Amino acid sequence: MSRQPIVSLETVTKSYGGINALESVSFELYPGEIHALVGENGAGKSTLCKLIAGVVAPSDGVLRINGEVVKFQAPKDASRHGISMVYQETSLVPQLSVAQNMMLGQERTFNSVRKVRNAARQVLQRLNFKVDPSQLAGSLSTAKRQMVEIARAVLNQARVIILDEPTAALTPEETEHLFDLMKSLQAKGVAMIFISHALEEALNHSDRITVLRNGRLMATGPATDFDRGGLIRHMIGEELNEQSMVPATGRAALSALPVLRVESIRMGSMVNNMSFSIFPGQITGIAGLIGSGRSEVAKVIMGHTKRNFGGGRIWLEGREVRYSLPAQAVADGIAYVSEDRKLDGFFESLSVSDNIGLGWLAKFGRRRWFAPLRKMRQLSREWEQRLSIRSIGADQSVLYLSGGNQQKVVIAKSLVQEPKLVIFDEPTRGVDVGAIAEIRQIVRKFAESGAGVILISSYLPEILDLSDRILVAKSGTIVAEFARGDATAEKILHAAIH
Amino acid sequence: MADWKTMINRGGPNTKLLEYVVMAVTVALVVVFSLTVDGFATLGNAGVILSNSASLVILSCGMAVVIISRGLDLSLIAVMVAGATTFSVFINADYPASMAFLVTLAAMALVGLANAWLIAYVEIPAMLATLASAMLVTGLFRFTILRGEFMLLLSKSSPAVVFLSGNIMPGLSTPVALMLVTLAATMLLLRAMSAGRTIYAMGDNFQAARLSGLPVRTTTIVVYVFAAFTALCAGLVSSAASGAVDFRTVTNGTLLFEVILVVVLGGIPLRGGRGSVRNIIVGVALIAVLRNGMTLMNFTSQMQDLLKGLVLIIAIVADNYLNPRDTETDTVGDL
Repeated sequence: MSRQPIVSLETVTKSYGGINALESVSFELYPGEIHALVGENGAGKSTLCKLIAGVVAPSDGVLRINGEVVKFQAPKDASRHGISMVYQETSLVPQLSVAQNMMLGQERTFNSVRKVRNAARQVLQRLNFKVDPSQLAGSLSTAKRQMVEIARAVLNQARVIILDEPTAALTPEETEHLFDLMKSLQAKGVAMIFISHALEEALNHSDRITVLRNGRLMATGPATDFDRGGLIRHMIGEELNEQSMVPATGRAALSALPVLRVESIRMGSMVNNMSFSIFPGQITGIAGLIGSGRSEVAKVIMGHTKRNFGGGRIWLEGREVRYSLPAQAVADGIAYVSEDRKLDGFFESLSVSDNIGLGWLAKFGRRRWFAPLRKMRQLSREWEQRLSIRSIGADQSVLYLSGGNQQKVVIAKSLVQEPKLVIFDEPTRGVDVGAIAEIRQIVRKFAESGAGVILISSYLPEILDLSDRILVAKSGTIVAEFARGDATAEKILHAAIH
Repeated sequence: MADWKTMINRGGPNTKLLEYVVMAVTVALVVVFSLTVDGFATLGNAGVILSNSASLVILSCGMAVVIISRGLDLSLIAVMVAGATTFSVFINADYPASMAFLVTLAAMALVGLANAWLIAYVEIPAMLATLASAMLVTGLFRFTILRGEFMLLLSKSSPAVVFLSGNIMPGLSTPVALMLVTLAATMLLLRAMSAGRTIYAMGDNFQAARLSGLPVRTTTIVVYVFAAFTALCAGLVSSAASGAVDFRTVTNGTLLFEVILVVVLGGIPLRGGRGSVRNIIVGVALIAVLRNGMTLMNFTSQMQDLLKGLVLIIAIVADNYLNPRDTETDTVGDL
């Protein structure tokens, strides 16, 4: 191709705190091209898009627009170059009308309601959208909101539109409409990047496909050069063939009586009829894409969020339970290790010993009036040794530890409660490589001690490395179950996507 | 720039800096007042400063505990006055002081309980819940007991009033003794009690505290009942000293803001999770010295308000600068 790319990345690296989200990736986008970006969760697709949209700046490497080197400080620099991003969580202001939303950020001091509405209507008509420009954005469906965002990009004369999982929340008809629209924009010379987990969409609707894995470029080329199997192979890579630590048939459950059984749990739009059982002494991995309702069901089990009215039943060791507060679940021996430790995992300004000690204290609920500080400190020291947490001192605040050590503190805070069942939600996210192996070893040892373990992970190699039994969640339901011996990355990914 | 900040804050994120600034300003004020104001640097005046700040310290202990748990108690002064009123009614009707005290204690515990119930169970933001209960309590007491009046006089001859405004032993007045007791109780609660550790955890990260299984609801009850008790204690001390209960303390609002001022100046961030008794003492020291010095210089109360307002703004700006907004404050809000 002799044409000049409108966007090109040259050996771009983006690292967050020492971890590379993208590692010397080169990428080119040509005018009038629909480019699909595929890869597992955490492969670096969103980071790549954010770099182009000016949301984040590259740590290393060069970004060129029309051959010119640019350095974006903020998204508005990118939109000045005609680059617009349509986010998964739409960024419309619900209290403003469609027309006002489309003009957002480029209003004059005084705006004529009629002029704004007419300009919006023109664009909407040109794109063949049936949306009333005076309607409030908050009253629109997800599909229409996304279309309004695209219309906004068109109104801004965008030459590059980036769509982050545009079809995730759409019905099949809406998806068709979206791709029709993309084709018509393509005819006008607009270049588009879209992220998708549905491989068929990438194969059928794009001109070129780029596959990322672990922040590295795996393959890129015309869509016609790929098939489904090829894409999946590029997405999961070869390293899966390494020997797993789990015996070929998986550890057998210590008892046929499940430690936990949940039946048709429903919660909002995220969890839809989820049923499964967890057995003691083995690790049950729950694979799936982000947003498949796994963390949500974990929080329902903990009593942290409320299920729908009549939204299912939960048994702990054969006894039906219904928690309205996590304190009750913890008292019964269930612990949850959060997927986002900063958000709801640890107490950042408190010391390592306070964090672990508070976990232990929680087990007693209201029964202990005084906190035995010496005992808490001693317990903390014990667990620091067991999990080899490296801190400067027990009084050091957790904030200053490395990601891996922070995660170990969060795990210690739960394990110190000596639970019967632990839910590990993405236990190695944002953790340095050395600590990943250590944390997996901790999870393994804990299961071998006879407790039940649920492992929620979006990272297939982790699921395959640890699990004795694998469940696959999709759209809030368990869609497949594999015994250790039968599970392969291809089968799991197939179930999670379809 | 970042270096001197990290140097001071080695123990934790920007907790100590404001505290040191306030301490330095207090020392500077003491030096200036000693040199320029007659009668400031005397032992007698030091005693006056101490006993005048007793009720402020007691109230600040309650407020500090609430704020560390990432709450706010706007009903503190209303409870203080309501407690004093209840106590006075029983004393004026010649009931024994111990019985009057127990009844009042129970009544104020009930207000604290109501606050905590609204916040922990109904899940109303602390600011709104306590604002509503403050208005309710004030209205109720003025309507039923004071019949629309602002003042309720105490009989100066009553032994309870004499005790509360007198000396517990030579050189130690009852208000100062109660202040020391409250400080000790606060320290005990925050440091040694399970509820105290949970208070820090809730203030640092409420969701994490809840998910870890800490008894967040029970602890909320402890927090607001404790605050109500400190309010009652302060109410008894201040009404005994002045010989009257004055509802204008509630309605003009300055005392409430002074208490928040003390807590913030002492270095306890409004978003909670940090702070100790030491912070309360640092905050009160500045306000007490400032107040005493201005009174000795014959500043009008308007002028005093103006200066205190200025100090509050500076403190909050400094607090924001030293504890910048982050995702945490964005999700939970400032209060």
